[in-house]
Amino acid sequence: MKKIGGVSADLAAVDGRKRLNMDKTMTVICFILLLIIVVIPIVMIIYNAFFNEGKLEVEMFVEQVTDKKNLDAMWNTLQIAVFTTILGTIMGVFYAWLLGRSDIPAKGLMRALFNIPYMFPPFLGAMAWDMMFNGRSGYINKFLREIFHLSSMPININSIWGIVFVEVSYYFPFVFMQVVSALERMDPTLEESARIAGARQRQVIWKITLPLVKPAISAGALLILTTSLAHFGVPAILGYAKRIYTLPTRIYAVIYNSGGSFDGIRQGAALSVMLVIVVSAALILQNRILSAGSYDIIKGKSMRPTLIKLRGAKIPLFLLAILTLVMIVIVPLVMIILISFLKAYGLPLKFENFTLDQYRTVFAMNGTMESIRNSLFVSITAGVICMFLGTLVAYVVQKIRPKGKGALEVISMLPYAIPGTVLSIGVILAWSGRIAGINLYNTIWIILVAYLARYLSFSMKTSSAALLQVHSSLEEASWVCGASHTESLADITLPLIRPAMVSGFFLIFLPAMREVTTSILLYGPHTRTLGVQIYTLRDAGMIPQAAALATVAIGIIIILNTIVTKLTKDRKGV
Amino acid sequence: MATVRFDNITFRYGNNTVLDNFSLEVDSGKIVCLVGPSGCGKTTLVRALLGLIKPETGTITVGDRVLFDAKKRINVPADKRNIGIVFQDYAVWPHMTVVENVSYPLKKQRRPKDEIKKRAMHALEQVHMTEYANHLPNQLSGGQQQRVAIARALVVDSDVLVMDEPITNLDAKLREEMLLEIRMIQNRLNATILYITHDQQSALQLCDKMAIMEPDGSLCQYGTDEEVILRPANRFTFEFIGVSNFLPLIKENGQLMLDCGEKIPYTDPVAEEAKNGGYDLGVRPNDIIFDPQSPLKAKVDSRVFLGSEYNYFLTLGQKQVRVQQSMLDARTKGTVNEGETIGIRLLNARFYPTQKGGAQA
Repeated sequence: MKKIGGVSADLAAVDGRKRLNMDKTMTVICFILLLIIVVIPIVMIIYNAFFNEGKLEVEMFVEQVTDKKNLDAMWNTLQIAVFTTILGTIMGVFYAWLLGRSDIPAKGLMRALFNIPYMFPPFLGAMAWDMMFNGRSGYINKFLREIFHLSSMPININSIWGIVFVEVSYYFPFVFMQVVSALERMDPTLEESARIAGARQRQVIWKITLPLVKPAISAGALLILTTSLAHFGVPAILGYAKRIYTLPTRIYAVIYNSGGSFDGIRQGAALSVMLVIVVSAALILQNRILSAGSYDIIKGKSMRPTLIKLRGAKIPLFLLAILTLVMIVIVPLVMIILISFLKAYGLPLKFENFTLDQYRTVFAMNGTMESIRNSLFVSITAGVICMFLGTLVAYVVQKIRPKGKGALEVISMLPYAIPGTVLSIGVILAWSGRIAGINLYNTIWIILVAYLARYLSFSMKTSSAALLQVHSSLEEASWVCGASHTESLADITLPLIRPAMVSGFFLIFLPAMREVTTSILLYGPHTRTLGVQIYTLRDAGMIPQAAALATVAIGIIIILNTIVTKLTKDRKGV
Repeated sequence: MATVRFDNITFRYGNNTVLDNFSLEVDSGKIVCLVGPSGCGKTTLVRALLGLIKPETGTITVGDRVLFDAKKRINVPADKRNIGIVFQDYAVWPHMTVVENVSYPLKKQRRPKDEIKKRAMHALEQVHMTEYANHLPNQLSGGQQQRVAIARALVVDSDVLVMDEPITNLDAKLREEMLLEIRMIQNRLNATILYITHDQQSALQLCDKMAIMEPDGSLCQYGTDEEVILRPANRFTFEFIGVSNFLPLIKENGQLMLDCGEKIPYTDPVAEEAKNGGYDLGVRPNDIIFDPQSPLKAKVDSRVFLGSEYNYFLTLGQKQVRVQQSMLDARTKGTVNEGETIGIRLLNARFYPTQKGGAQA
């Protein structure tokens, strides 16, 4: 029997006070950081929408809300979001079922291919579709008109339906991915017992399979809805020509037209409040319609489901799936690449009109390399900071469980439901000199701050899920083995969730690389991001140059994604 | 090695009192099995000993070192308690190799590198795991992970070794082996081992002393295994350790009767306090013998051969009674056939006041 420390040392450690202190410090840091990153911008929006120079002033808000243009924009936003959600959900569920439950050929390959639309930047898709089916100059439109001797263009993508179509194409994977994994984890005996009980195949699908994956469908649909409501790129590219505005594009227009003046930003804040109201209403509505129950019968273990034989429909359905992919991935991609080689936009797509000049022009421009550097810098920095901060918040919420843990969780998830455009305005209001004289306007840092708010919930979610997997006895065992709280964190917990942290990083890095919605409102003369640069090139009518840069951007995304898949795969092997 | 003493430990989860003034002394250099049904507070007690939770009242001492004293506000943190633990779910760190797992406690003591290596390998030797030193836990079977956890607990000279249901997840054969292994380790190190289990079989196999906990978290008996089996302190211990039959004993018209649906006169001697009925007669299945002369007649419903014994279910009155007949007895006296009616005799009967709500079978 040996004595360690003796009584005095023991007294110093009353109640494990050291441990409590560290927990408390972490909790406090969490609250402060979330306050700065998330709460202040949101409070600033609400304050500025209703107050001017410290006085309550609702006239401006009322004026904005009753403005016909804004009401139209709100109505458009709602229509687009609702139709996108409904159609995207149907499409996602259909393909999830086809790939998860039927005997369609080449399943593994198809699963991989169906993830591509998710990585494809929607606003580049919109650009490509605009090139093909623009109501005045679309290439395929012109081609069809000549063949069939039509008096007008057959298809007009610059419409609400055009926007819905493009958004559905790139957002249906939200539902698809959720439902596929739910179908895979579902206990096949549930379906089998229904069959044995005498239900027909169709009845099983409607009465058993669909209700069981309803929570997954609901989660995916919610994601489509909020993303679509907040989305800037597609409606901006397809809608401006025909003056079809949505709330995000309207906010951009208001601020852009006012030249970034404070009044413009305040109007933007008022519109933001409108947008947030619409998003909240949609969330409540969605909750009512698809009230998500949780079913324990979906197991974590993967099992082999019984596959449904498609028989005669097998080949047609397979071709349909392939055609879908070609339509939403290959065709736009080819279109963008072809246009990027054109000497001038509008020339026929013939070989003699092709050149590499556009690439030279783009890279000779001042902003291009800068925009790539900027995007890389903010994406990597935001990814790294969010990775650590998200893990910190997740750790506090999951393991320390302080009194305000519910509030902490809600605050960190808030930006998930708040549109990127709104967040940008909040960030402008907060960090352009009004608080403690901190002025980040027109610097890269303001974009970074906005990205942090926007993407924090991503890394928090992945780290949270990983931390739940780390059984508390693993940490306890290390304490008993003589590790202090800090040592235990460094030796046991962090190494165990490292893979999740890494994938959390890429979950932020990849979308941040192609981001436009947030940065379009925040960029300054030297702080364009890649997305902004493509958008402004196109806006200035330099369509082939925009296409050239878009091709480069897609190349970068493909390369990065390959690296990610490789990295995450290697991790799993350990 | 040291004596472990719990004095007046009280612990509550909200309003749910798990331990109420619980006291127990674990003798130095002994294996003490803490046995009780699931949810009786065994694990809570262990967590209090390890310093993972803080009791409301009481003291915990190991040897002459106070680990916890509510009154004097002493609470040694978990990492300074020097107690070895084998968790129920092993808690072997999945990202470290076997030898890294086992070396970890030594590393935290800042021992020199070669000493760490030597002692880690020695600990692995003790659990026969040297050849797996560089494996990752997911390459090991449950039993092997178990042994890694034991080696990790052994590697430092802990004052006490705590094992919380360490063999529940193993198959029967490996369980037997591990019990022997633990016993041998204890012999070699002369360690104080607190072994937690709800399985009385393994407790009987392993322990020097047994502490029986009731479902409400109180200690109802503490003694050697023989004492616990042969002289159970109360009805709970009798029922919990081993299989038991209970027959209600009543008095009618001055005559003691067994109330088995129909009333059967009982003439064998009974304990003094049970003379006036209102008691349950408890008897172990292997204490019931067949005796054609006995006036107590029962019908044989089923007979199952279990390898080392015969297991019978008899109907006495309308009550089912379980009887075990050893091979020796079956060889010398012969077995009884299904459907037969036979006289039985109840030996070593115990008497417990009838519980409210009627007696249980």
